[in-house]
Amino acid sequence: MILHKLARYSGGRPWVAELITLVVLLLCPVVLPWFGITSDMACRILIWGLFGLGFDILFGYTGLLSFGQAAFFGVGGFVSAYLLTQAGFSSVFLALILGMVAAMLAGIVVGFFTLRRSGIYFAMITLAFAEMFHFLELSPLSQWTGGENGLTGVPMPQIGLGSWTFQIQSGWSLYGYIAMYFFIGYIIAHRMVLSPFGQVLTALRDNSPRALATGHSVRKYKLAAFVIAAGYGGIAGGLLGVLQSYMPPDAVAFHTSGQLVMQSIIGGAGTLFGPLVGAAVWLGLQNYLQEFPVIASAWMLILGLVFVVLITAFRQGILGALKQLVMHQRPQTEPDGAELSAEVARRHIIDGVPDEHLREDEVPDHIFTRDVPDRDSLLIVPKNAEPGTAALECRNLSKHYGGVVANQGISMSIPDGQLRGIIGPNGAGKSTFFKMLAGEVVPTEGEVFLHGANITGLGVTAVSQLGMSKSYQINQLFTKLTVAQNLAIPVLARLRGEFRPDMLKSMYKVPGLHGQIEATLDMVNLAERADIPVTELAYGEKRRLEIGLALANAPNVLLLDEPLAGMSPKERSDTVKLLKQIRAGRTLVVVEHDMDAMFELAEYISVLQEGRLLAEGTPEQIKNDQRVQDAYLGGMHEL
Amino acid sequence: MSMPSLPLFLSQLFNGLATGLLLSLISAGLTIIYGTLGVLNLAHGALFMVGAYAGFMAFQWTGSFVMAMLGGMVGSLVVGLIMERVIVRYYYKRPPEDQILVTFGIGIVITEAVRLFFGGIAKPVPVPSWGEGIVHWGFLFYPTYRIQIMVIVAVVLALLYIVLYRTRIGMIVRAGIEDSLMVNMLGINVYRVFLLVFGIGAMTAGFAGIVNAPILAVTPDMGEAFLVTSFVVIVIGGVGSFPGAIVGGIIAGEIISLTSMFSSAYSHVMLFAIMAILLAVRPQGLFGVEGRE
Amino acid sequence: MSNDNNEDDKKGGIDRRDFLKLSAGVAGGLMLSGGLSKLALAKDYPAIGNYPAGIKGSDVFMGICVPRTGPYSAQGEDEIKGYLLAIDHLNKGTSLARAYSPHSRKGVLGKKIIHGVADNATKPNTAVQEISKFISDNKAMMITGSVSSAVAIAAGKLCDRERTIYLPAITGSNATTGKDCQRYSFRACHYAYTAAKALAPVIKKAIGPGKKVAYLTPDYTYGHSVYNSMKEFTEAQGWKTVNNQLPPLGTSDFSTYLLNIANSGADVLVNICFGRDAVISTKQAKQFGLLDKMTLVMPYMAPFFADEVGADLLQGVYGTTEFWWTLANQNKMAKEFVDDFQKRNGRKPGWSAHIAFLQTMLWAREVEDAHTFHPPTVVKQYEKGNTIETDIGPVHWRAGDHQLVRPVYVIRGKKPSAMHSKDDFYDIVEAVPGKDVMPPLKEFSCKLGPYT
Repeated sequence: MILHKLARYSGGRPWVAELITLVVLLLCPVVLPWFGITSDMACRILIWGLFGLGFDILFGYTGLLSFGQAAFFGVGGFVSAYLLTQAGFSSVFLALILGMVAAMLAGIVVGFFTLRRSGIYFAMITLAFAEMFHFLELSPLSQWTGGENGLTGVPMPQIGLGSWTFQIQSGWSLYGYIAMYFFIGYIIAHRMVLSPFGQVLTALRDNSPRALATGHSVRKYKLAAFVIAAGYGGIAGGLLGVLQSYMPPDAVAFHTSGQLVMQSIIGGAGTLFGPLVGAAVWLGLQNYLQEFPVIASAWMLILGLVFVVLITAFRQGILGALKQLVMHQRPQTEPDGAELSAEVARRHIIDGVPDEHLREDEVPDHIFTRDVPDRDSLLIVPKNAEPGTAALECRNLSKHYGGVVANQGISMSIPDGQLRGIIGPNGAGKSTFFKMLAGEVVPTEGEVFLHGANITGLGVTAVSQLGMSKSYQINQLFTKLTVAQNLAIPVLARLRGEFRPDMLKSMYKVPGLHGQIEATLDMVNLAERADIPVTELAYGEKRRLEIGLALANAPNVLLLDEPLAGMSPKERSDTVKLLKQIRAGRTLVVVEHDMDAMFELAEYISVLQEGRLLAEGTPEQIKNDQRVQDAYLGGMHEL
Repeated sequence: MSMPSLPLFLSQLFNGLATGLLLSLISAGLTIIYGTLGVLNLAHGALFMVGAYAGFMAFQWTGSFVMAMLGGMVGSLVVGLIMERVIVRYYYKRPPEDQILVTFGIGIVITEAVRLFFGGIAKPVPVPSWGEGIVHWGFLFYPTYRIQIMVIVAVVLALLYIVLYRTRIGMIVRAGIEDSLMVNMLGINVYRVFLLVFGIGAMTAGFAGIVNAPILAVTPDMGEAFLVTSFVVIVIGGVGSFPGAIVGGIIAGEIISLTSMFSSAYSHVMLFAIMAILLAVRPQGLFGVEGRE
Repeated sequence: MSNDNNEDDKKGGIDRRDFLKLSAGVAGGLMLSGGLSKLALAKDYPAIGNYPAGIKGSDVFMGICVPRTGPYSAQGEDEIKGYLLAIDHLNKGTSLARAYSPHSRKGVLGKKIIHGVADNATKPNTAVQEISKFISDNKAMMITGSVSSAVAIAAGKLCDRERTIYLPAITGSNATTGKDCQRYSFRACHYAYTAAKALAPVIKKAIGPGKKVAYLTPDYTYGHSVYNSMKEFTEAQGWKTVNNQLPPLGTSDFSTYLLNIANSGADVLVNICFGRDAVISTKQAKQFGLLDKMTLVMPYMAPFFADEVGADLLQGVYGTTEFWWTLANQNKMAKEFVDDFQKRNGRKPGWSAHIAFLQTMLWAREVEDAHTFHPPTVVKQYEKGNTIETDIGPVHWRAGDHQLVRPVYVIRGKKPSAMHSKDDFYDIVEAVPGKDVMPPLKEFSCKLGPYT
């Protein structure tokens, strides 16, 4: 069932969409002339569309807004054009491929620098790099690129099979040639976004720190997406040269990047076809507006206004809006659909209003007592762990921020299988301590050992891959994905390691993926909500999913940061049951404010105060410890 | 190329400082808005241009360069305030990518609207009478006007620093970023403060536009080249850092100036190359805070 | 090289085939029977490019592709005004139209000229895109317009492939009728080489012998081509090149380059920048006091340069231009053009408007003389190189590289006090005859492509 849901949400059977695309591409030469659309225009739209496939993977799927794609468009275009016009290459195909390879190499270099930052930094740096490429094209490399005159005389391609050759001509036969590249590019892009690789990219877009924490190498995935986008840009640039028999220097200019971005937004990012639709709108409008002398020189102004309105009011673009329209009108086909959407609607209404009666209904009691299938799959066995070694140990751990001491000299040893509670008043340094354990923060001093292995400074991804994961105090979910897709992200990290470029592999073909997702869903009692986008979940459900994300990673050491935060009493007691259940076979470390829950759950408790370890002991010992009482009373007074 | 003479070297060193300070001023406006509101304003180049045009019009009417400076500031302030009220304020809670995109669009709209109204021919704004002539200090020949605006720009930057970092307003602004709810609860309308900051940023751009007008050609796309350079400046200095913008601007000015003595064609490429090296070594920029995105 | 590629052989002779066609055309014209002549013409030639599809109706389409946005939009708009003026005169068959093209009646070969205008935003890519549309959608028989060589070269290449006549307006690079020359393209304006060759002796006479020259060369092909030509001609007359600064295209602060020039000890500053870059660099050169120490020379002055920098800066500046409106005082056709332009647009034409006007008139003339729109025949008619009377005096096309052999005007900025009106920026120092400044044909290695 989940298999089916995962696939459906991510686009259904790939070949259906591909077949439709093929039919539409074949029909274009017949249909478009009726609407007065010439082959030249159709070719341009396809080239922008092909360029945009890569950009959409980068921006729409991975969430990286680059303002420098023109650099790769230009590299691909000029390398192919140079090979064909100056270096005496005769095979257009070969030249295009080499252009693409050159663009990808440029992508690796630029990506190395730009991907050190994200968000606005990334946008600015990519823009600056593209400008540098433009400078290089215009002057230092003008001997090869023709400088501001570009390269003229790019030949038309020839298709040959043995002795049979076919000379492509400008017009619809050239359209066919370009459409072929677009179609292949589309199939690859489409498979890519449906692959496990593509699924991880969407996770980066939604919440890249969490993707990192679940054990994916965010750097490598981002670089891969960047290089893919560069490759698409490169081949599109090469085709532009072929189409015009001329490679223009302004292909490398900023406005090319800007136009690509605007077209993608207009058409709809994250849809693959968005940039193509945007290009059609752009070129069509440009054409149409210029026929009116009064506004002819204002066409750019009008397009700019359209863009601002679109981004403000219809952020999802044309295709996104259509998709939404179809989604809203399509009746739920799931048997429990109607009931479920009513439930969702009800939750929306009560969102933020703590109504205990309503919430009590949500979690039927019997769920937690049900047998969970296949629990062993949720564990990984530590390698080389000698018997008797502590599951998690830290020695003399300190963290200073400038002059501020967050933690000082904490040593702690947590035996395998223990449920350890960590408590302390506000500002005791619990969060920082936890982050150091999980590898999110590098300690100023001291070391952390997981099953005896030193993991200090390895980073959260590696730590996660070693079998320790963490759930967060504030939900860190992948907000645009469904519950099942959310859980797929940590499972993929477990099954595929920190990076694997399985771009053309189907999600169906990842062994163990679906069993693990199902097991986790059952464990956190979200099996019936598997297909629901996380934004539609109730708070308690989100909390459970948050724990599920850590759990799906199959950790044998689980760090839980205030798992009970913000819950109603009923939810608390349910979650306590859940924690008791998942501790079997695991080491659990729980930071919690709720003292009662802590005393009920934990076997052993460590108390932090002002960044130092204040006391350790069984719940009974801690309850009676005078220092702890003082600390907490002090803490209470502060509040 | 042969080694440059000492006087030339010193002249270029000075020139790097002078041009760098102008870059600092432009970048400061950008970084003030980003550092406090979290919005990267891609329409900043357009506001720079609006300042130059508004100043040009004020100069046409009054014939006074002081009025032109005032006009430039008021013009870009008004456009900036409208921009904030009508569009940008709805974007504070949206992702940074959306903010970049919408300000990019607004920049195009402003530029094209100005082109439609004023045409594409450069508008002449002469050097004010008090700025004419050349200063001759030992080895250095330098336009009086450029030295004057160096001083003016330095003063303006100091004022901005004081307003934003040493006054109550500045504290509220920075608190508003951290926790707008809290500031609201204190009885301060945080959105009004945001409007104020956006206005200050826009005015800074406009002021840079009008003081540059006698040096540059006043055309609708005059801001575009500066936008890219100011990106490089704030990437070098650290995004959102005011001192970073100033130091970054001066460094950029020096790189361009000093490289040109050896190979003028590579002076801009060198600027980008240094930015790339810095990114590799210190991704957050010279004055940037680690981990800030 | 074949004989008809030689400029001295331009007069040629009317061969038998041409003569027959000529007779047919004249007969058609005399009968004033559009239908019959059309039929005859259409049958005469095989289809090529948009022929005969583009002349099926009673009108003929001309595609105007100029920048209306971007840095050269002012020149682009001026070109449009020049084209519209030419089209109007041709369609009305005015006396001015007949002065250029004596056979003209109304329109061209009896067909009304209709036109489309597209914005190329000074981007070669956009230009190519718009021109493709003109050719495929509008069946254009002639494409024209450019403010930069990059656009002109790209458009020329495309039109050559499509066998459609392309007439660039402003393009200063040697490559346009050199390395990148096209069979179907004809340049009427002066360019780097002719400008430099015309300018050098004049400035030597005015400034003196043995001067040291510093260059401000925008770092792209156009800039280098003007630099090379200027260097060649000034060094040949004993001047010395002491410095060459290479700011990138679109530089906004030239201070660093100007300081290098200031320290070079030059007497003459040759500023090769064009458009906005020229305006900014000249303003800044003035502010750095360079114009007080050095004579400024602008080898290839852009239209509206004077309006943009103001008269103060222009004083004593030397440069070349394609046309200056005071030529109206010397030539009756020029006067008619300038006056009519002023009447319609309320200002004097820039040379952008003039070159647009001139190219359109010359095209009408060649088509009328060829008696057909058949593109290869029109090209061959151009290549005959007949002398044509124009508002810049008699001119003719050179067959070997499709460059118009025409005068180049050396101008000097007037003192503001000496200006008679607000547009009276320049004195025409000398009109250098075209034949004195043309490069040898092999100089820029032009190889024209096939006719069909």
